[in-house]
Amino acid sequence: MVIFGLYPLLYAIWLSLQRKHPVTRKLSFAPSYNWSKLLGDERVWNALGNTLVYTSAALLLQLILGMAIALLLDSDRKGYGLLRAMMTLPLVIPPAVTAMMFLLMLNGSFGVLARGIIATGLLPPGFSILGTASTAMAGVLLAEVWQWTPFMVLIMLAGLRSLPKEPFEAAAIDGATATQVFFKLTLPMMSKVIAIAVLIRGIDLFRAFDYVKVMTDSGPGTATETLTSYAGRIYFGNADFPYASTIALLTLIIVIFVSFVFMKAFKVKL
Amino acid sequence: MTFKEHDKKTFIADTARDFAARRISKRDFLKKLSMAGVGLSAFSAGMLGNPRGFRGDTSLIGTEAFAQDASVTQWLKDVSGPFKGTKIRYTSEATPPTVVLDKLKGEFTEATGIEVEIEIVPLEQVLAKATQDVQGQLGSYDVYYLDQSWVATFSQDTVDPVQYYKDKPDLAMPGFDFEDFSKPLVEGLAEYVGKWVGIPFDIPIFMLMYRQDILEKHGIKVPTSPEEFTAAIQQITAAEKANGMFGTGLQAKSGHYSLNCDWTQMVWNEGGSIFGSDKKFKGNDEAAVRGLQMYQEWAKNAPAESLNSTWDGQWQMLASGQCALVQSWDEFFPGLDADDSKVKGLWMPAKPLVGKPLRAQSDVGFGEIPGYAHQGGSVLSLSKYSKNIDAAWLFTQWACSKDVMTRCTLLGGFAPMRLSSFADQRVKDKAVVGPGTTRHLEMVKWIIDNNIASEPDMPLWAGFSNNEIPVNLGKLLTGQDFGGDAKKCMDAIAGLIDAQVADAGLL
Repeated sequence: MVIFGLYPLLYAIWLSLQRKHPVTRKLSFAPSYNWSKLLGDERVWNALGNTLVYTSAALLLQLILGMAIALLLDSDRKGYGLLRAMMTLPLVIPPAVTAMMFLLMLNGSFGVLARGIIATGLLPPGFSILGTASTAMAGVLLAEVWQWTPFMVLIMLAGLRSLPKEPFEAAAIDGATATQVFFKLTLPMMSKVIAIAVLIRGIDLFRAFDYVKVMTDSGPGTATETLTSYAGRIYFGNADFPYASTIALLTLIIVIFVSFVFMKAFKVKL
Repeated sequence: MTFKEHDKKTFIADTARDFAARRISKRDFLKKLSMAGVGLSAFSAGMLGNPRGFRGDTSLIGTEAFAQDASVTQWLKDVSGPFKGTKIRYTSEATPPTVVLDKLKGEFTEATGIEVEIEIVPLEQVLAKATQDVQGQLGSYDVYYLDQSWVATFSQDTVDPVQYYKDKPDLAMPGFDFEDFSKPLVEGLAEYVGKWVGIPFDIPIFMLMYRQDILEKHGIKVPTSPEEFTAAIQQITAAEKANGMFGTGLQAKSGHYSLNCDWTQMVWNEGGSIFGSDKKFKGNDEAAVRGLQMYQEWAKNAPAESLNSTWDGQWQMLASGQCALVQSWDEFFPGLDADDSKVKGLWMPAKPLVGKPLRAQSDVGFGEIPGYAHQGGSVLSLSKYSKNIDAAWLFTQWACSKDVMTRCTLLGGFAPMRLSSFADQRVKDKAVVGPGTTRHLEMVKWIIDNNIASEPDMPLWAGFSNNEIPVNLGKLLTGQDFGGDAKKCMDAIAGLIDAQVADAGLL
């Protein structure tokens, strides 16, 4: 725990309190330097905004799709077991490979998905989805949603399968419609499961890096730059390790705060 | 009906088109898409196979013509005794010379007993790993692969190879000959404030490349200036766009160093510079802004994917017949002539575009060399912190020797650093259309001797060229910010850069 958890964290905190001289590379103790730089850095706030958009959009889509697919697959009929097993396939592909797949499929010149969308007339021929500021985020989200919706499906399925049958039988006898059953029974009874799923995926989404790095490298411009990808650019591009650590710590602080509020609000216990 | 029965590239497009035209029902549309969905993963994974890869001529390996010089092998055996069993490490990008060297390193190990581990990672990771190593003076890497834009940053962490050669006569490779390295390369690439930071190892350089068939079809002369280039690409785009071909293709990926390379060339072409003699950023002066405005026009005459492409994507555009005129890296050539290339023998090399008179070196800052051919070379440097410095020194000399460099050129078709390699008969014999061709090298040599341009040598340049400049250029080119106003974009960059240069005490 000390080696794998505490030491990197303490090291990051220590780094964030240092200032790196850009020429000599010497570190000097300057506790407020990186934090005040962070507060005045427009790109941090842009990245925070992008992170929130990315997290909320992906979460919402994965939640809706996850629940819908789970309801469809919640059956003991023949073949459904195989279908449920197949749902796990996207999860075993490394995210960087998924990102590369979608990068190719969304290429305006030869990508199958891009050509499909262009053929519907929604976009002009040759349009670069990932190279256009207004559509790049949607392109990245596509990969994210494709890969992680099955995770939601599995959690939802586990929840659905553990629900008691009696209330549903009673509702059926009372003549409740499917919509009524879903909103009055399924959804309230699944609330705890949904809360946990949202919490786990939310934390993960807030640290989004792989898809952004591979598919857009935070671009075009800063259109898909998230907090972690910005920290990565400062780390790899500018080699300013103290400032990159400060941005990473900001991410951690936000994740802890939001998770705490969420857990209190929804009475989630892990 | 199965997914395999359809053209995989057009299946979804055709299905969507059929649905949009009401030729198939919604049910059939969904059925077909779900069927395609199963195939998509496999299809795309298959496409990952070789996006960049090695495009040279591996058939030479093992042949007599490609054998290591016996005197080199003997020298390695003679001097390596004390280092047997040592392991040396370095990290590099997958540049053609590195890929070739990785294939040849077994010869070195066999003769010396010194193992060589080459970590091949993306360029930005090379920088991060090297920076971490020097920051902690760890000596995890014995040799550094340094891009030309980092040479100044790492000059304090490397051993001057010329000096070390003199200081260690017992380890000096006979006939290594530092004079054999092309002078402009040494000045523009390896030297920083009079010291050799490393030995020139790779020299991708900008040249003009054109599709002879397309230019002839439209009666266009090979352009010699940026203005002629602009007119030519406009004409080609207008005539060929419907066929999926554009005038040019760019490596304009937002936030990537490749965009910075394109931009610097445009600035120099218009008589501008990145820094002035007062060490202030000059990318926002009249000449530089003119260059950027011309680049904006070029972007209109390039596939939209140019804005999301680095050099790999740009190469794909050339190889797949999406463009007809390009100002870019000479290293593209061997792949374009490969046996499986759709454009084999169609691309021709030409002198770089000559723009406005270049800004004098006395008027620029930080050792920048304005010119018409941007160089993106790299050096192999000996780490000051290496715990196996002598073993690493043997490897570095071997890797940069006349024999290995010439053979690397033969295998990969990329430009050599040494004059003797250019003159080697084996290299000349390969100047024909075919895999690993060297038919562009005569032009490359001329360009190195006459037109080479180098970015500034300053410690902050690695960051500027990977972050501030290409990120803001990306915002401009993709319409995220600045409303298409090149001057506004460059003023923003100037503000960021001047503040950091002042903060670092470099003014």
